[in-house]
Amino acid sequence: MPPAGPTRTEPAEKQAPAKQGREAAAQRAEGERRQAPARPALKALLRDLGTQVRQGGSPSQPPAPCATAIPAVDELLGGGFPRGGLSEIAGPFSSGRTSLALALLARTTSTEGIAAVIDGADAFDPASAASAGVDLDRVLWARAPRLREALRCAERVLEAHGFALVLLDLAGAGPRIAPATWPRLSRAAAATGTALVVLSAQRSTGTAAALALETAPARARFTGTPAVLEELEIRVSLVRHRAAPGARGIRVRLPASRAA
Amino acid sequence: MNDLPLAAELRAHPELSDRPVVVASGPGPRAEIVAISPEAAGRGVRRPGSVAHARAVCPELCVRTTSPAVESAARAALLDAALSCTPRAVLMPPCAGVYAAEAAVLLDASGTAALFRSEAGFAAALCARARALGLPGNVAVASSRSVAHLAARKLRPEGPDAVHVLPTGAEMAFLAPLPIDLLDPDDALAEALTRFGVRRVGQLLALPRRGLGLRLGPRALELIARIRGEATEPPLPVPRGARLVEAVDLEAPVDRLEPLAFALQGLLSRLRARLAARHLACGDLAVTLVLEGGGRDARRIGVAAPTLDLRVLVRLLRHALEARPPAAPVEGVALETEGRAVREGQLDLFRPAGPAPSVLSRTLAELESLCGRGRVGAPRIADDPREDAFELGPFQPAPRTAPRRAAGGAARTPAVRALRPPVRAQVRVSRNRPEAIRSAVANGSVVHVAGPWRTTGGWWSRDERFAYDCFDVETSDGTVARLRFDHLRKTWHIDAVYD
Repeated sequence: MPPAGPTRTEPAEKQAPAKQGREAAAQRAEGERRQAPARPALKALLRDLGTQVRQGGSPSQPPAPCATAIPAVDELLGGGFPRGGLSEIAGPFSSGRTSLALALLARTTSTEGIAAVIDGADAFDPASAASAGVDLDRVLWARAPRLREALRCAERVLEAHGFALVLLDLAGAGPRIAPATWPRLSRAAAATGTALVVLSAQRSTGTAAALALETAPARARFTGTPAVLEELEIRVSLVRHRAAPGARGIRVRLPASRAA
Repeated sequence: MNDLPLAAELRAHPELSDRPVVVASGPGPRAEIVAISPEAAGRGVRRPGSVAHARAVCPELCVRTTSPAVESAARAALLDAALSCTPRAVLMPPCAGVYAAEAAVLLDASGTAALFRSEAGFAAALCARARALGLPGNVAVASSRSVAHLAARKLRPEGPDAVHVLPTGAEMAFLAPLPIDLLDPDDALAEALTRFGVRRVGQLLALPRRGLGLRLGPRALELIARIRGEATEPPLPVPRGARLVEAVDLEAPVDRLEPLAFALQGLLSRLRARLAARHLACGDLAVTLVLEGGGRDARRIGVAAPTLDLRVLVRLLRHALEARPPAAPVEGVALETEGRAVREGQLDLFRPAGPAPSVLSRTLAELESLCGRGRVGAPRIADDPREDAFELGPFQPAPRTAPRRAAGGAARTPAVRALRPPVRAQVRVSRNRPEAIRSAVANGSVVHVAGPWRTTGGWWSRDERFAYDCFDVETSDGTVARLRFDHLRKTWHIDAVYD
């Protein structure tokens, strides 16, 4: 123990910065004490706002995929259709591709934001979409007269930013599209974080698609007296998944939509 | 603006602004020169003279021909510049004689102090806005219209002399030394005044009115009233409507899209500048192409949302021309639009995530140009019993005020893929039910059938009435479709596929 000696008093010039530092620390502590009850209130507010407001997250986290709300399909896809990428659903008539697309559209418009349907086949049916749970007010429907206009519409919509989902319905026009089109659309989707999903009769996007499904009809169920069409059973095959390679398939009974 | 023909041509062709340019009264080497640019004047070109004489003096001279359409657009642009400063403005009618090349606009500057702080600020702003639209000119502010008009005639279009504010009470002192020519009297009156030795405005004002009226008639008294600002002046009107027209005559007929698009881009940029000056946006465009041989190609291009985005407007025009090229080479182009107010939307914290309103408007305009009018929007279920009825409404996603719930109900049907137009089918019927189908969509025997469901309506009108039976069928090729029998036409169609 050092001997006690006379107390040294530091000069005033050296005392001032130390005093300022103590005061600043005291102010910070006071500020944190005042904010402490506000943080639970802030969390409660964000919870009440639901999906309309997101608290800032790490920019390195990949965005959540667009789910279809069909559990078997979402599980097959690993969560849903990827955002910022090109996906494809290919299949003939009555193979369920439209039902999958409407389920995706319903989920997106009810939770995420707005979607666009670029209808190169002029096949979108509003009544059926409403029955599937699609919020029609949040859907932009562009009835393109020809294939070229449909592709241009898709580019314009992607350039606009802000659409959570863009459905590009090309019917049977897939093989007639130039191969360079798909990488360009894929890049546009990646730049905006939009999920671009192409509906076609035959696979045409090639390796530009991050994910590709092939659908085929399995069985149509008519029930009741008098008989009514109740549901479609389809086969869904995952033929391409950039993040999880390996083909696999499932049979899905499509959730029949409710009549509007 | 002292030289309308020259200003109008340079406004339509800004690439000529640094070159020696003259405007001739017509085509050919014997045409009279109407206007001369400063560069041409510096090279020795003078008025009066013919085009041939001017070319002899200045071989690299650029000769333009007067164009009523271009001059009319320039006059209208002058009015737009005026209306950007005040809501009350009117174009003065064209003059004759010495001031035939003049274009003037009268404005009511009262009530603009809050915007421009002073009359000098108002005049400077007006001069600058007119110059921005390609119309250099003079601005004079006075207590009466006639005095302001006379004062503006005296000013020079360049430098600080382009703007002048006459203090109240100083008008006579300003006008007194000016020549009588500024008043633009008719030839007989001018000759009479010259004979009397009256060459300045002050000398005219010094003459007794009664004697002047007795000797020279009421025209002389009107001149006096104009100088003194005593003429009866009704209030300036507030123009109704905002119909803007821009036109240009091409130097040579154009039969390719690229040079035509270049000319259209110039028109659009001038139109856009005028709309911006009046805080308006471009609505639907009416395009008139003057074709070689005298024909006209008039078309209307819809703009889904008012926009000032030049890129969008150029794209709209290009798409329209690519879709339907003109039938003959184009000699002239005119664009007309109705300016529409741009409603700024306030961003909403609870608005669904999406493009900014201005970007969305632009995108909608482009989509409509690609798809056609009435084919872009938000889908709606029509109040119509027919299965394939639908409507398209404006796409305006609004924040959701209540949590969305799944609709309740009993009937459940798979998703439908519409076929537009419906596909004709050949159907073999047994016991009033389809037994086999042949069509481009579904073929084979009918494995399952549900229905019929009868739908009728429009019975009050011969053209609108309909009656058909719908069946849900599954054919042996695996297709599940909606089959329809039209009772009026006795035909079978497939109008949708369950998918």
